[in-house]
Amino acid sequence: MPPWLDSRLLGHADKPAIAGPWGVTTYADLRVLMNKATASLRQLALDRPTAFAIVGEHGPASAAWLLALCDAGHFVAPLAGSSAEHPPKLAQIHAQWIVSTRGHEWSLLPRVDEPSNHPLFERLRAQRHSGLVLFSSGTSGRPKAMVHDFVGLLAAYASRHENRLPVLALLGFDHIGGLHTLFGCLAAGSLLVVPSDRSPAAVATAMAQYRVAVLPASPTFLNLLVASGEYQRHDLSALRLISYGTEPMTENLLARAREAFPGVRFLQTFGTSETGIVRTESPDPASTFVRLEDSAMEWKVVADELWLRSPTQIVGYLGGDSARFTDDGWFRTGDKVESGPNGTLRVVGRFGEMINVGGEKLMPAEVEAIVLEVSGVVDCRVRGEPHALTGQTVAVDIVAAAGMELEALRASIRIKCREQLAAYKVPTRVTFVTSVSGDRLKKLRDLPRP
Amino acid sequence: MLTRPQALALVLRRLALLGRELGKPQLEQANEETRLFGEAAALDSIGLVTLMADLEEDVRAACGVSVHLADEKAMSRLTSPFRRVGLLADHLIDVVEKSTPPA
Repeated sequence: MPPWLDSRLLGHADKPAIAGPWGVTTYADLRVLMNKATASLRQLALDRPTAFAIVGEHGPASAAWLLALCDAGHFVAPLAGSSAEHPPKLAQIHAQWIVSTRGHEWSLLPRVDEPSNHPLFERLRAQRHSGLVLFSSGTSGRPKAMVHDFVGLLAAYASRHENRLPVLALLGFDHIGGLHTLFGCLAAGSLLVVPSDRSPAAVATAMAQYRVAVLPASPTFLNLLVASGEYQRHDLSALRLISYGTEPMTENLLARAREAFPGVRFLQTFGTSETGIVRTESPDPASTFVRLEDSAMEWKVVADELWLRSPTQIVGYLGGDSARFTDDGWFRTGDKVESGPNGTLRVVGRFGEMINVGGEKLMPAEVEAIVLEVSGVVDCRVRGEPHALTGQTVAVDIVAAAGMELEALRASIRIKCREQLAAYKVPTRVTFVTSVSGDRLKKLRDLPRP
Repeated sequence: MLTRPQALALVLRRLALLGRELGKPQLEQANEETRLFGEAAALDSIGLVTLMADLEEDVRAACGVSVHLADEKAMSRLTSPFRRVGLLADHLIDVVEKSTPPA
């Protein structure tokens, strides 16, 4: 861990650091946990930087292990959500150890695999820098592993000023946005509030209990919070700032949210797992146009697509596919943008096939691979469909075998997907058709099945 | 034209099927007052979107019209039509009426 961060943690000592269903953990408690994690690491007597996965949600144990692994120069992948999706990710990083966390508890489990000799890991090893591995949906349905220089990524938070505004952790421990919230809180000495789950009721309860002042949210979540009426049932008067990002915001929803939270500032954020989060300004609070104002980040628009280049961007993909980076280091975000007045812009959607459900992204192929395994499915095609509640939703067209009972088949498809995929990837609309078009599935079927 | 009892029956039948699929048997006992989402509700956001998609398919089969239950207008209503079963049945009648071409 960089010395500046350690001295901050030491300086914040008695202030609350992370609160959630387990209670309140102070910065001093967090350092104790971190030292315990460091001691456990020493007992393992590892003679070289090693790949770890932290399996769990936001909490003191997850944060302590993340920092201890960074400090010791290891490689770490935070994994949250559906455990059925973890095995291929663990295999990709050749994880040797799994830290399973819950609140301030953890258990350490060995995983048998050959250590990775990937050139990206070797490069970080030579620099004595820790690596942070994040996953996103790959085009072939295989998760894409992105490697960040963990020390370089943390350096971006060194300039944070101290503040006491409690922040809600809405995005997951495995999401660049969720980690951004965590690192921002640690650097500023503020409180990270973890809800018991991400339903509007649980989030509003936690916000009222800990007087949350900053809510980083997706437009879908704001939609749910307002439409469910939960914002009226709890005392959210401490709220001062709502930052929103991860998916396009409509002006209609922004107007409704501003009406529900008068006096609260709304700020659009923008970021990708590859480049980290960009600082932005919203010149007109009622408009969804923003100006990217980040001295550490370069940006330009090429054929309506936003390109970013930053010193904190990933060092590469473990899979080696770096087609979205140009030779001179620009990252093609895949976000389709529209230019507004005074150098502002807004995201209007995505190029290509990626589906964005409430800020969580997936590729059709990963769902198609599962659906095709369901008995009675002859062929299928997954696509994103616009939805007023979640931005987009997953729809699948199915060619069923003759004589199938369609209602039962629809249920089997969703049950199978629920077993194998994160909830947001499960098709909400299942339509039966006589044929599907496109040749993507032909390629998919040729891939070796795990 | 969809009557109130028909609309309610469609919603309750779909909830029961979804309950079986999700392993939530309490959804089979749902009634007019059952909360769909929000505090102490039966469904999460994905569950709610699934319910809407299935109901849209039912309406297409039953009435021959293609409808969208969630749009900006529905989301903007002061009392969300997706909070309780009864409100959703009313909303279903409303959208079917507006999409049925005049005879």
